Amino acid sequence: MKTFIMKRYICALAATLTLGMASATWAEVAVIVHPSTGFDSLSEDDVSRLFLGKSKSFPGGAQAVPVNQNEGSATREKFNEAVCKKNASQYKAYWSQLVFTGKGTPPKDAGDDAAVKALIAANPTMIGYVDSSAVDATVKVVYKIP
Amino acid sequence: MHRPCVTLGVTPQMKKISSIRNTHNLALAIALGMATPLVHADDIDFSGFLSVGGGMVDDENSLPYGGYDEEDFTLDDNLLGIQLSGNVAEKLTATVQLTARSENDYEVDAEWAYLSWQATESSKVRAGRLRTPFYMYSDFLDVGYAYAWITPPREVYYLPFNNVNGVDFYTTATLGIFDTSFQAYFGGFDDELDLNGDDIMESASTRNQMGIAGTIGKDWWTLRAAYHQADLSVDVTGIAVPVFGTLGGFADALTNLGFADNANKLLVDDDSVTFAEVGLNIDTGRFVAAAEYVEFDPEDALLSKNKRGYVMGGVRFGDWLIHLTGSQSRDEASHPEAGIPVSPQTAPLIGALQAVAASQVVERDVVTLGTRWDVTTGTAIKFQIDDVDDENQGDQQVYSVALQTVF
Repeated sequence: MKTFIMKRYICALAATLTLGMASATWAEVAVIVHPSTGFDSLSEDDVSRLFLGKSKSFPGGAQAVPVNQNEGSATREKFNEAVCKKNASQYKAYWSQLVFTGKGTPPKDAGDDAAVKALIAANPTMIGYVDSSAVDATVKVVYKIP
Repeated sequence: MHRPCVTLGVTPQMKKISSIRNTHNLALAIALGMATPLVHADDIDFSGFLSVGGGMVDDENSLPYGGYDEEDFTLDDNLLGIQLSGNVAEKLTATVQLTARSENDYEVDAEWAYLSWQATESSKVRAGRLRTPFYMYSDFLDVGYAYAWITPPREVYYLPFNNVNGVDFYTTATLGIFDTSFQAYFGGFDDELDLNGDDIMESASTRNQMGIAGTIGKDWWTLRAAYHQADLSVDVTGIAVPVFGTLGGFADALTNLGFADNANKLLVDDDSVTFAEVGLNIDTGRFVAAAEYVEFDPEDALLSKNKRGYVMGGVRFGDWLIHLTGSQSRDEASHPEAGIPVSPQTAPLIGALQAVAASQVVERDVVTLGTRWDVTTGTAIKFQIDDVDDENQGDQQVYSVALQTVF
């Protein structure tokens, strides 16, 4: 019984901490790919070019499909500001210059940390980003935003 | 005992994923309903843009500008656009962009309708109705949300032909540390335009229209250059002129007097015209700047040689962008009188020809002060004041406002 209460307490504490970290701006964001990819790190420029549609392949030439978190996610905000150098509105304006000309399609919005991680873990062509607290062995971190 | 915690973590995502599916299905249903030939497409992208705007002028006795000629505020510069895009086969995409504008009584127009073939990972060939890449902002001219102003500077963005029916090739490449793009197209277009602002539409067409446009950039800056040529015809014969009644009558009179060359220069009939553009775009996040210069050369047509440009600079403060633009038109009159021997008898003729040519010249300075406020992601509200100083038509001030969204 004691262990039960204890575990529940830890569980709640963990949830609170996770929530707190997700909204805090100092949370680290990790750019992740499938563990089977043939490279271990990317530069900020590499990641930015993939997420702004300027490049469509990983180093080595394999097809790369970037996926976003949903609009409004703190992780997405931080990623866009730090890597793409654009706030939410600027990011939207940037893509609307390409969408309505047939020159590009923005990365799909794939959900939150867990949803993105699950997608990346199942797709060797995909690249995404999650709060680093969400990282586990199913994905490989190739770039970190402090 | 760990399970409740995990379940709590998973349920919200499941909901999110299913709501994405629902939106997708809704878009698909709308798209299918609107474009039945695409029934077999398994993935249709639906997107759109909206602009609701209005404005007023300071002095309705002076020249109209930017579509406004009343001192009372009118909210009638509205535009709705939707774009549907779907794969019809592997590497083959069909795209249609439909717009409805208040100025055309919301008549639905297909501004873009093309098939696109992804030839390689970085290049595509498109065929159908395309946007002519005249300017830096041509591609997304109707999508106000994509830029700072309510509409790009009118002195420079004045060409009546925005589209072309034809084929194009578009490719992007990384050269060293630079991002580049290149586009080439061939086609033609038929349209009606109001050449001299008298509300009488002249029919116009281009044939053998072709052009190239290239960009090079890195992170916060992009340079652009474009060059186009076309055989242009505009039926100007109905335009009223003193003494001869119409330009057509004037041209006939010139031919009868033995000045067939000059008659030809008075008309716009299969004339080889060219248009060149250079532009610069800067966006550092805090600062934005843009500049474009264009030249239209009508060769032997009545139209003037257009030399126009603008320079814009702006600063962002949080969700606000404040920008200042100076634009200029310095057209040069054509010389339909060239070659007529000067004598007391021909003086009135030469004078009349020069007057017609001069009527096509615009010499104007416009200073634009504007703000863009990003209310939410995807929606901006813009205010703009244009101070117009026209050499021939006087001064004007235009106040306008618009709400522009993308979805």
